[in-house]
Amino acid sequence: MELTPTSEDEAFRRAARDWLLANRPAGPAPREGRASRDYATDWLARCHAGGWSGLAWPSDYGGQGLSPERLILWYEEYVRARAPSALDCTFVALNHAGPTVIARGTEAQKAFHLPRILEGRSIWCQGFSEPGAGSDLASLRTTGRVEGDVLVVNGQKIWSSYADIADYQELLIRTEPGSSRHKGLSWVICDMTLPGITVRPIENMAGVTHFAEVFYDDVRIPLDNVVGDLHDGWSVAMTTLAFERRTAALALQLELSVKVEDLIALADAPAGSATAARLADLRAEAAAIRAMTWRTALREPATPFDGSLVRLSFAELAQKVHRAAMDILGPAGLTDGHWSHDYLESYSETIAGGTAEIQRNIIAERVLGLPREPRA
Amino acid sequence: MSFDLTPGEDLRQILDAAETMLGTHYPVARLGEGQVDDLAPLEDFGAFALAVAEDDGGAGFTLVEEAQLHVALGRHLVTPRALATAVARRLDAGATVCAGVAEGEGWLALDPDGAEAILVRDGGGLVLAALGDTTPVEALGHAMPMARVAPGADNRRADAATEAVARLLTSAQLLGVATGACDLAVEYARTREQFGRPIGSFQAIKHQAADMAIGIEQVSALVDMAAIALRDGHEDAGFQLSALARLAPRVALANARTGIQIHGGIGFSAEADAHLYLKQAHVLRQFLGADDIMSHSAPLTPY
Ligand SMILES: Cc1cc2nc3c(=O)[nH]c(=O)nc-3n(C[C@H](O)[C@H](O)[C@H](O)COP(=O)(O)OP(=O)(O)OC[C@H]3O[C@@H](n4cnc5c(N)ncnc54)[C@H](O)[C@@H]3O)c2cc1C
Repeated sequence: MELTPTSEDEAFRRAARDWLLANRPAGPAPREGRASRDYATDWLARCHAGGWSGLAWPSDYGGQGLSPERLILWYEEYVRARAPSALDCTFVALNHAGPTVIARGTEAQKAFHLPRILEGRSIWCQGFSEPGAGSDLASLRTTGRVEGDVLVVNGQKIWSSYADIADYQELLIRTEPGSSRHKGLSWVICDMTLPGITVRPIENMAGVTHFAEVFYDDVRIPLDNVVGDLHDGWSVAMTTLAFERRTAALALQLELSVKVEDLIALADAPAGSATAARLADLRAEAAAIRAMTWRTALREPATPFDGSLVRLSFAELAQKVHRAAMDILGPAGLTDGHWSHDYLESYSETIAGGTAEIQRNIIAERVLGLPREPRA
Repeated sequence: MSFDLTPGEDLRQILDAAETMLGTHYPVARLGEGQVDDLAPLEDFGAFALAVAEDDGGAGFTLVEEAQLHVALGRHLVTPRALATAVARRLDAGATVCAGVAEGEGWLALDPDGAEAILVRDGGGLVLAALGDTTPVEALGHAMPMARVAPGADNRRADAATEAVARLLTSAQLLGVATGACDLAVEYARTREQFGRPIGSFQAIKHQAADMAIGIEQVSALVDMAAIALRDGHEDAGFQLSALARLAPRVALANARTGIQIHGGIGFSAEADAHLYLKQAHVLRQFLGADDIMSHSAPLTPY
């Protein structure tokens, strides 16, 4: 077990830092709408021009093909330089849709979509959840009927982040009539400008409009847009799990350490005070998240459910950090500021992308081998 | 490779061999029978010479391997004399030693039977001293033999490097305690049935078990980071070690507590082993002492 950077690693780290400090945007990111998209795509285009986009993507597809240790070095410099949040409207395309198309897409799909994603020319959203299918995703009911060389899609998705500003959606729908659960689904590239699509943005509890409900009324999507085999969508949706340890989620996990340092500076708590003790706990826990992040990336073979352990630790610590911030702010927390806003946003951490309860089920069953939950 | 957190083949072999040795000589069941730990099997195994250079008669491994060995000792609830010995050998090769903590005006010796010296945690760090006259005291819930001793006159204070090793190994043992408590509870939850099902199928139990696994993962990732940083003299070694020393006792205590709860009535009895983890966690926590995480600068400070 080794954590000693080579001189090449150090050179890489310096190059990353110099580039980030010289190129990070000056102003804060707009919170929503078209302006937030422009900010994110400008940043991605700048990263691309600098040779810093598609870091974990294979070089055959225009990526940088960075090794796990280089990715970690990059993201550590990224968060220390306070570069824009990795969880912006480019996240799904870079970390989910793109890698899925790389793994399962046709040559035509790759040739069309991958360069657009890397250059910040197309934004993607994810359309998995439905009003009746959240934690139990396999109960989804939006259908795609095969008619000649098109799928005719009807139904509804919800909580689709950035659907209001996206060009494409990774859409998981039921294409095999009469099928149930994980069988008979397809993973489809949906052009958000197609006739029959209605997007209704939904304001979140922090007062920001990030996610949306999407309605499909006889939307005709070419069969050529199916990624992987028709009716094999569940396995396509699961492909991205393999990328999990290499995504920009690393950045979010590492960023928590920076946030704790910021909070320590903000609080300026006297040594020995209860607040100082609380901050010491947060500092230690953030160090643990960093250590877990390093280990999931740098230990072979990957143990499949380590991701759940880090992710849940991260989600709960992120909330704890923001709760502490509110206590430290006192009455100032009642107005819309950086910490108070992020405090409200942090409530999503234990819901989005699999709730804390579902993560605990997974850990108990898959890591510890306890008996499985009843299945529908 | 410059960055790699995959345990090497050497380490895996050491841990396999250690597990066999520990299973034979230190099965947790021994504690229920009131057996006092003899350190000879550990000595024969080379546990105290693991990180000593081959030229000096050791096995030529490093702190990283030694820390993992202490995780295994922690799981088997091996007497704190093993920990004291591993640390004291770095100060003084000779005497058989027990661990102790300053308490009130005097010292509290932990499982001191047969020891000639005592390695004590006091407000200033660790001191090694000859063990004077002992007066047995009743230990918390019969945790282990304990005795009061007057502070020895001829003290030797541990240097910073030895102090750091002590914190690492004690934290590693606390990780072992946390892991042992979790393993025992999970095994029980798989087999104990109520309402016609294993209790481990109830989410209230599952989610508590998941929290144990999370705590273990956090501390174990920090053990790796701290051990490597200390071994290789990295700038952030003090920070990593403090983070570890802050979390390890907390997770050990939490897992021990949860382990007792998952066992129900038998968990409260002295006949099952669940309570042993709790007591060991309390003992090790006192020997570890307080961390100083706020006195270090963090590796991920913003520019
Ligand atoms: C900010 C944000 C962004 C999102 N972005 C997207 C997106 O881009 N695309 C997308 O498809 N979806 C997205 N989602 C949806 C997200 O994936 C779902 O909200 C999540 O999976 C939970 O589903 P649900 O909301 O239907 O809650 P439910 O599944 O109804 O859960 C309600 C409560 O019941 C609990 N529960 C449910 N089942 C179990 C069980 N088996 N055991 C124990 N407890 C259980 C849950 O933990 C939760 O506390 C987003 C959500 C948020 C908050």
